[in-house]
Amino acid sequence: MATKTSLQKVILLGDGGVGKSSLMNRYVTNKFDAHLFHTIGVEFLNKELEVDGHQVTLQIWDTAGQERFRSLRTPFYRGSDCCLLTFSVDDNQSFLNLSNWKKEFIYYADVKEPEKFPFVVLGNKLDVTERQVTLEEAQQWCQENGGYPYFETSAKDATNVAEAFEEAVRRVFASDERTDHLIPTDTVKLHRKPRSASSCCA
Amino acid sequence: MVHVYSCHPFSSQRIVQVEQEPGLVCCGGGALFVVVSGGCKVEAYSVEEEGCPLICRFPTMGTVKSIKYSKIGDYLVTIEEKNDATYLRAYTNWRFQVQSERFYSSGSVKYCVHLSAQAAERARVGVRLLGHLLRGASLRSGIQTEIIEIPLSERPGAVACCPITGDLLVACETTLVLFTLRRQNQESLIQSQHILHSTWRTSQQSPSQDDTSSSAVNVSILDFERSVLLHLPKFKPKQVALCGGYVAVQAEVEVLVLKLDASQENKTPEFSAPDPSHEDLLEDQAEFLIIPRHQELLGDRARDCDISVSIEKTGLEGRGQCTLSYVLFRRLTPDFFQGCSVEETQLHSLQLHPLFTSNQSVSEEEPACIFCYFSLPSTGYLYSLKGGIELLSTYQYPEKVLEAVLTDYLLHVITKGALQSFTVHCAAVAARIEDPYIDTTMKACPPSNMEVCALRSQLFIGLRSVCAFGHRVILLSTADSDTPEETERSTQRRGLSRKWTLSSPKEPSKVGHGWNLYVVDTVTPLALYQEMAEYSQRYAETNMQAQSLWHLLSEAHILLRASLLQRGAEEQIAKGGSAETQQTDPQKQRNHGELDEALRQNCAQLGDCFSRSSQECHLALPYYRMSGLSVTDIIARNRPFPSSPHSYGPGFLFFLKHYLLEETEQRLSQETADEVIDIFSQSEPSQLVSVCVSPSMVNISPARTLQILQHLEDSMGVSVTLTITMATMALHLGDLVQYAQLIGRHTEMALVYGFIEEPRLLVHGGGVRARPSVVTQQLITSMPGLLVAAMVGLHENNKVKLEQADQIFKELDCENCLLVDFWEAILMASSQEAVIQDLLFRLVSVYIDRLTNADTQPSSLQTTSRRRQLRNAEDLMNSCSHYGALYPWLTVLNPPYTSSSHNQEALHKLQSLLCGPSLSVDSIAPLLESLSKNTIWGLSLHLLCATRRGHYESSIEKLLDCCPQAIIAYANHHLQDNNMVFWWQKLLPELCNRTRASSDNSILLAALKETLVVVSSEMSPAEFLELIPDDATASYFLPYLLACSLRQLPP
Repeated sequence: MATKTSLQKVILLGDGGVGKSSLMNRYVTNKFDAHLFHTIGVEFLNKELEVDGHQVTLQIWDTAGQERFRSLRTPFYRGSDCCLLTFSVDDNQSFLNLSNWKKEFIYYADVKEPEKFPFVVLGNKLDVTERQVTLEEAQQWCQENGGYPYFETSAKDATNVAEAFEEAVRRVFASDERTDHLIPTDTVKLHRKPRSASSCCA
Repeated sequence: MVHVYSCHPFSSQRIVQVEQEPGLVCCGGGALFVVVSGGCKVEAYSVEEEGCPLICRFPTMGTVKSIKYSKIGDYLVTIEEKNDATYLRAYTNWRFQVQSERFYSSGSVKYCVHLSAQAAERARVGVRLLGHLLRGASLRSGIQTEIIEIPLSERPGAVACCPITGDLLVACETTLVLFTLRRQNQESLIQSQHILHSTWRTSQQSPSQDDTSSSAVNVSILDFERSVLLHLPKFKPKQVALCGGYVAVQAEVEVLVLKLDASQENKTPEFSAPDPSHEDLLEDQAEFLIIPRHQELLGDRARDCDISVSIEKTGLEGRGQCTLSYVLFRRLTPDFFQGCSVEETQLHSLQLHPLFTSNQSVSEEEPACIFCYFSLPSTGYLYSLKGGIELLSTYQYPEKVLEAVLTDYLLHVITKGALQSFTVHCAAVAARIEDPYIDTTMKACPPSNMEVCALRSQLFIGLRSVCAFGHRVILLSTADSDTPEETERSTQRRGLSRKWTLSSPKEPSKVGHGWNLYVVDTVTPLALYQEMAEYSQRYAETNMQAQSLWHLLSEAHILLRASLLQRGAEEQIAKGGSAETQQTDPQKQRNHGELDEALRQNCAQLGDCFSRSSQECHLALPYYRMSGLSVTDIIARNRPFPSSPHSYGPGFLFFLKHYLLEETEQRLSQETADEVIDIFSQSEPSQLVSVCVSPSMVNISPARTLQILQHLEDSMGVSVTLTITMATMALHLGDLVQYAQLIGRHTEMALVYGFIEEPRLLVHGGGVRARPSVVTQQLITSMPGLLVAAMVGLHENNKVKLEQADQIFKELDCENCLLVDFWEAILMASSQEAVIQDLLFRLVSVYIDRLTNADTQPSSLQTTSRRRQLRNAEDLMNSCSHYGALYPWLTVLNPPYTSSSHNQEALHKLQSLLCGPSLSVDSIAPLLESLSKNTIWGLSLHLLCATRRGHYESSIEKLLDCCPQAIIAYANHHLQDNNMVFWWQKLLPELCNRTRASSDNSILLAALKETLVVVSSEMSPAEFLELIPDDATASYFLPYLLACSLRQLPP
């Protein structure tokens, strides 16, 4: 193509209610709504930005965190350039579930070399006073799992939101330079994973 | 050959304010969709509104490689790439980006940072997988734009949407996948839809005239169902098209069109290719090595192409199978000997184009016509697929064409440096499907396969792609493809068309970027028609017979036909909505009027064209008829200039002859009628008789015409019809002497033949109501026999129907006397059983009527007997087989002197018919019931009937009661052979009884004696003895017994 704009698909994963949609809204529209609906299925927004002299169209995918929307969500992991694993600092369970999200992502996105895939971890709701997860716990988890960058964010106060997304972009560029980490596939192979195909909205 | 006419198909252009370089462009539903080059978003612009404002923009998930819009369902479908993977996606509800976009953004590239939370919510784009439609998922806080991800097992290469159903066809490497559009109209959706619709409408300043508003009303959640797979191994699809079950697929040099039909048969049809060692191929290979031959296979013959197709039904719904038929195969191989390279034979611009006739409702029915268009860089081909598959037009382009787009009215093609339009003859095909009787003497339409013409082209620099929507053509140009060739051409450009208005000619240089997106408006078909009509006048002035004139007028005609079809389709749509608004809209009515008037004008011009032409001159008739012009006008249009040696054209004479042959009620004025006489005496004198007798010519001046006819007779010799025509003129003049003298020149038989040759000398108004001519009126008094003979001649030669002849006689002859003569004469001549039975019945009624009327109204006897009948009963019995000789007993019953002569004639004719072989007694029995049984003649008729039905016993009793003197004559005639038994079973006992009661009745005694003679000669003595009454006087019967016994003795 004529311009050098590259498209990066960044996907937000994490338990329901940790603030994935709020983070996306804060970043793209700079607004915060405390009474957002649950996300159903998958939605995305494009945001154009410049990072380190690169023109990037960042495609941010917001997913439904609730288990019942699993089948609507998982077919769209494929093709992601970066995964933002999100938990809420006031909810220990959401932090404990990070491993499950990572596993789910690696499985459905069909990542060739999971250890090289760029994950970024976000601890959201920094504005809340009663924390259940400490900074140290979170950083330790990131360190043990592959040295992921960790950001403590607040969609409500706009703390660290832009920084987190920009870091995601940098990570993608960094990993692009190393290797093409995705299996080159022509299409979405629906039938390889019968679960995602059959367990629809029944 | 392509005719080139300097007509201007374009009226104006607008430049769409696109900020980033467009990569791909498509249009439809009132919108223009632009995929930003290299970017991942689609911008939608309204082409209906002034300045083409941005409607909305929405992100795509990958780099768009191909984009198509479907009017049905109002969705976009894209082929996208990301990380070397290819995806197929459908974008639905894209219009619901409108609210946030329109309100907050004014064309900025980035998403607005001022979006409210709710608006931002809507600006988010939902994504779901095909078939994974979650109830309620799409309407949380209103309807949002949704992307349906359509997984495929092969890489998609091309897509197409059906303009009728909204179904989706995807071409993969060796497979075509058909997806059926499904709409989920959720009940819970209706309310939110309603709210959204109203808000959307308020945000739209002017509701577009197209179906955009209606598509917004019918928002429903879309989904697709994979329904059919077509496997085409060895065929690499480049482009596909889908329309109403027709599937067109195009590879590099081949086009294959298939038709899919749902069928109940539970089998999977598979067509495999014929053996490649096909005879033709072998032959080919010998000559050209491996180059496949150029091929065109139409209809079922396309099965012989070497492309195998197998079908696999995958849909869940519908138990039935799908059947596949071949429609068209075309292979266009490069002609290396002509110096063609491979790239010059690459096909492009495949399209299936539907056309609805005006009596169809667009939404419900499948289109009456479907056309297939595809193109090489140098030539385009347009096929008609329904109602006989045929190549309709071949478009020879003047230079290499990059892309072409077919619309209802015109074909638009782009070269690197110009937009050019060609005429399209689809409407002529549709008109013929709509009205199968279009090619008659009443109606006409130019042939659909006539040569096409190119209209004036418009120069552009660096054209890249073209698409069309309604009357608009959308062009994408990029200057970087500007080559020296281009600049060279632009220096050659002559003055731009006078109609060409540039809205902002300096736009490109001002903006400074190297690309432009143009919306070019085409002129209305009516305006283009008018220009063509004007243009044709120039041809007309120089040479009325020029082929170009005919061609140009025909092109204009087809253009109007296309408008009429469009109008019909619009009316059908309006019928679905509110019919009243359609009718009361004055602007629409004016347009209707203009269009109808234009068609009449065009038909008049085509009529003029054919009236002077020697080729296909018969077409002057239908075109003049459709023009609605009066004959007087048409004569005036065809009047040769006094200076020119030009005479009347054959088409004009053909028209006049046909017009005069028709029994119209329209009468020409004397002036016009005399002119018609002059035209024919000058051009075709032999037609003068036929012209003079036309009812339209009733006002001609007889003296003048008589002179002309006399002159004709002098030059061409005497003919009977000419003489009668002259006699007609003499009658018009009131000159009975001359009339009698003229008629007297020929024998009656010759005159009858003359009338048969030209029936209109006797009868006018062959259609609805027959009227007698002046000659007929004269003949009825002077030569009734001739009139009847002539009418019979006309009837027997199928020149006049029985009812028409009846009308004539009834009109002239109040007592129906001559009518009865006519019927009797027909009965003598006719051999048609139906006519005979009909007439027999009619005549029986007439005879009975005469008999009964003669009884009750003696005065009528005098009036009816005033005119002598042409044939009496005797004549009829002698000459007509249906009238039988009277039985002898009738003479006994009804001696000649018992009634008046008229009465007796009727009685004899009726009796004769009853004695004849043809009359069916059962059919006339109800008529006879009214007749008195108390009169002898009445009795005779009843007895005839009873006897014909075999009621001998009752007849014998009746006869013995009323007229015993006739009994022996009756018995002798009827009691023969099988009926002999009645002599002894009925007649003998009756006579014995009756004579016993009145022994002095000599008539009975005589009858008894006769009977005994017959009985004794037929029976054995023993049987005879049995018959003799017990109280009988032996001496009376003894002689008969003796005679009987003697007869039994051996000789």
